[in-house]
Amino acid sequence: MGSLVLEALSKRYGSSTAVERVDLEVTQGEMVALLGPSGCGKTTTLRMVAGFIPPTAGRVIIGGQDVTHTPPYARDTGMVFQSYALFPHMSVAQNVAFGLEMRKVGRAERDARVMEALRLVRLDHLADRLPRQLSGGQQQRVALARALVVNPAVFLLDEPLSNLDAKLRGEVRMEIRALQQRLGLTTLIVTHDQEEALTMADRLVVMERGRVRQVGTAEELYEHPADPFVAGFVGRCNLIPGRLEAADAFRAESGALLHCDSGAAPGPAPTGAALLALRPERIGLAPDPAGRARITAVTYLGAQTEYHVEQDGTALLVARPTAPLGDPLRRLAVGDAVVLSWDAAAARLLPAE
Amino acid sequence: MAALVLPAGLLVVMLLVAPMALLARISLNRFSPTELMVEATTAENYWRAVQDPYYQQVLGTTLGVALGCTVLALALGFPAAYWLARMESRWKSLATILVLFPLLVGNVVRSAGWMALLGNEGAINAALMGAGITGGPLPLLYNGGAVVVGIVAVVLPYMILTLAAVIEGIPRQAEEAAANLGGRPMTVFRRVVLPLALPGVVAGSVLVFILCMNAYATPVLLGGPQFKMMAPAVYDQFVRGNNWPFGAALAFILLAVTLVLTVVGSTLLGRRYRAA
Amino acid sequence: MTTTRRAALTGSAAALASLTAGLPGLARAQSKQVVVGTWGGDYGELLRQNIDQPLVVPQGIEVLQDIAVADPRKTKLLAERQARRGTYDIACLSDTDMHMVAAQNVFEPLEMGKLKRGSAILPALAKPYAVPHIYSALVLLYNPSKVTTPPTGFADMWDPKYRGRVGFSDILYSTNTFSAAMAGGGSFSDYEPAKKKLMEMRSLDARIYPSNEALAGALKSEEVWLTPMWLARGFMWQKAGIPVKHVVPKEGAYAIVFEAAIPKNSRNKDNAYTYLDAMLQPSAQAAFADRMGYLPTVKDAPLPAAIAQQISLSEAEQERLRAPDYDYLLKSHSEILDFWNKQFKA
Repeated sequence: MGSLVLEALSKRYGSSTAVERVDLEVTQGEMVALLGPSGCGKTTTLRMVAGFIPPTAGRVIIGGQDVTHTPPYARDTGMVFQSYALFPHMSVAQNVAFGLEMRKVGRAERDARVMEALRLVRLDHLADRLPRQLSGGQQQRVALARALVVNPAVFLLDEPLSNLDAKLRGEVRMEIRALQQRLGLTTLIVTHDQEEALTMADRLVVMERGRVRQVGTAEELYEHPADPFVAGFVGRCNLIPGRLEAADAFRAESGALLHCDSGAAPGPAPTGAALLALRPERIGLAPDPAGRARITAVTYLGAQTEYHVEQDGTALLVARPTAPLGDPLRRLAVGDAVVLSWDAAAARLLPAE
Repeated sequence: MAALVLPAGLLVVMLLVAPMALLARISLNRFSPTELMVEATTAENYWRAVQDPYYQQVLGTTLGVALGCTVLALALGFPAAYWLARMESRWKSLATILVLFPLLVGNVVRSAGWMALLGNEGAINAALMGAGITGGPLPLLYNGGAVVVGIVAVVLPYMILTLAAVIEGIPRQAEEAAANLGGRPMTVFRRVVLPLALPGVVAGSVLVFILCMNAYATPVLLGGPQFKMMAPAVYDQFVRGNNWPFGAALAFILLAVTLVLTVVGSTLLGRRYRAA
Repeated sequence: MTTTRRAALTGSAAALASLTAGLPGLARAQSKQVVVGTWGGDYGELLRQNIDQPLVVPQGIEVLQDIAVADPRKTKLLAERQARRGTYDIACLSDTDMHMVAAQNVFEPLEMGKLKRGSAILPALAKPYAVPHIYSALVLLYNPSKVTTPPTGFADMWDPKYRGRVGFSDILYSTNTFSAAMAGGGSFSDYEPAKKKLMEMRSLDARIYPSNEALAGALKSEEVWLTPMWLARGFMWQKAGIPVKHVVPKEGAYAIVFEAAIPKNSRNKDNAYTYLDAMLQPSAQAAFADRMGYLPTVKDAPLPAAIAQQISLSEAEQERLRAPDYDYLLKSHSEILDFWNKQFKA
């Protein structure tokens, strides 16, 4: 086991940049998720860590050793592939034993460790099956066991859940997280699914077009997004263009005046064009015939109800816990006048892009 | 359905089975220098061919050349097929056409090219003597080596394309997984790529072996008069000797040996695959 | 019903006829055509230049050459002998091959009444089933700068001085075996002594070439000094700058006659007779002599003196020439081939 450090890691293909100066440290036992839309460079970064892609610049350091120019077979990483990449001509046990064979582990110890790894993923009873005789979820667990059995310094997961159905995905997510924490694995996971990243990782790295936008815990990213991209990608967010008129007043482009607290976020408040970021669930809403806001759509989602609202030419999404039956909120319909309210500190000011 | 299949089936019978049946019948006839062929039902042509040390040797040469060429084609074709199968760019279709390109030229024309290259006054000898490396021409043409080189050049495209089709189906991530688990390139090849490519190895080897066993133009043109393989020997009996019964018997012996070795070889390789 | 169908058939046939009337090569060629099975190369080219174009085409007959070496055409003639319609109207073969194929009843006995030039043929070369086209003699070719004492017979090839310098053309296996037979005291009807002599020749490192052309290359590069060959070939090679002279062997040798015959299943027999007549025209005969060094087979073909001197044979030489024993060759052919392949070449 060891830590993983990326220093100014870059990958360029001709004139196009896939990954641009990524700096990251994953400490011993920590799980970090690379999160971003497809093409953001997260998979390229992971493959550079595994050694499948040579970086154009920068360094990869595993357990204090510079492995930037070390071939994949000598890197001591354990990778779970999106397609699982099991060896179709080998049994489950042979698949899991492969890494131990490569490390010249003796027969008896090898067999014991294979069974132990298979027990860990509850597949010891299927050791003699061929991969094609297993379900998708079982194959996924074989891939996990195969990567874990060699005690890799760094555990790499490439979209490990994307080939599973929604129900199984939730279970496996918890299972992987539990294993990772129990074994204290230094882990880098790539995903485009923010829920997956938020539930599994200690820290998240949001990437976009090859660059790291923000690194932080789920809470940090949600509560204090560094820029509009992060605000929009992690959770949902109303992003209203305009500019700050006073320390507590934001003038939207549509003309609406919205209150905020420019001192709530660290650092100086943006002076020019800016965006007001307002989470839908942080906006209160009450029926009021004199209210300046109008309901344009209502979506009932069970636990939550979403209201599309317009105020002085600015469209806003409001999410409220569904009110009990009989509550006046339940009777709100399209066209009704309402009044909106929010805590000034919940409205974050972000520099316009 | 039967109505649709029947005409095609009959055509296949006419095109494939009828000539073979006729040839089989001819092989049981008796040869006469004056009447050419006398109706008979005798196995003597087969006995004569099997017992004659000359034809034993011709068959031995044929087997040696065919096996050697198959192994060489496999050894040379695998890296090329792998490279072709793993190509991702738009050059892939161009590379495929380049591999196919030699097949557009007939065997005779291609052999003529080899003759121009290997002959006593050919390009290689001219270059060697011109540079003063050799005093006289090296005997590069009219021997087994020239035949093997010529045949391998003919069958290589078949081997490469057959292998490439199978290798393309091997997920690249399986190789990466093996490397990730500590497998060095040769180990990854031996433990993952080769076993998974085995169906292609079997198919390509069988195809190439059959082509080699039946090679005609290349051994005649590059092997010279003193190098004999089975197909030219069969032709000799039919066309030079006018001995159709014996030629037909030789043809069937060639067919039987090829068939048996093909079945045995692919079964053995197939068993290895299942065991792996 | 029947009448309508017949009417329809006649109608379509008429339509087809009117269509093909515009295509002279298709409909009319069926009746005014002659298919000549021949060698390619010089022979085919000379046929085209001196017979087809000037003599046959002007008579409204289209000539189609079906080109291949002798063996496949022989096989085709034999394979088709029971067929109602054959491929060839004219088959060109050497006298030995022609005799072998004729023995299988493939050819039409020639009707001299239809052959206008029949009376001009040299009587010694006349056959009932084929006309002689050109002929030449089997000689021993040698390189005069390397073989300084001119050889006199086939036996000189066995002189150990010429170890590794005797070459044979593989396709002339029968002729080569004959030369060995004669060197070993055999005769036109007894090739048996050839076996011992060929094995001796084998231990003298004789060289075998796949074709006459490959042998010519070896003579030119002086890799080979001696070979049994047709005089006409020697003449052509000399013209091409290959250093060879010839001798009619004292043991005796035979003439090779290139002949033409009409298969029984020819579809255009009248045209075939026209073609045979053209082959015997003095102008055509002289052209073959000039270009290829073959002797005319008719009494009235004039030869330019210079050529006549090079390719004609003295009376003494003529005396050593005889016709091969065709019946012996027919019976022994496969044994000769087998020995050549299995013992000599192995």
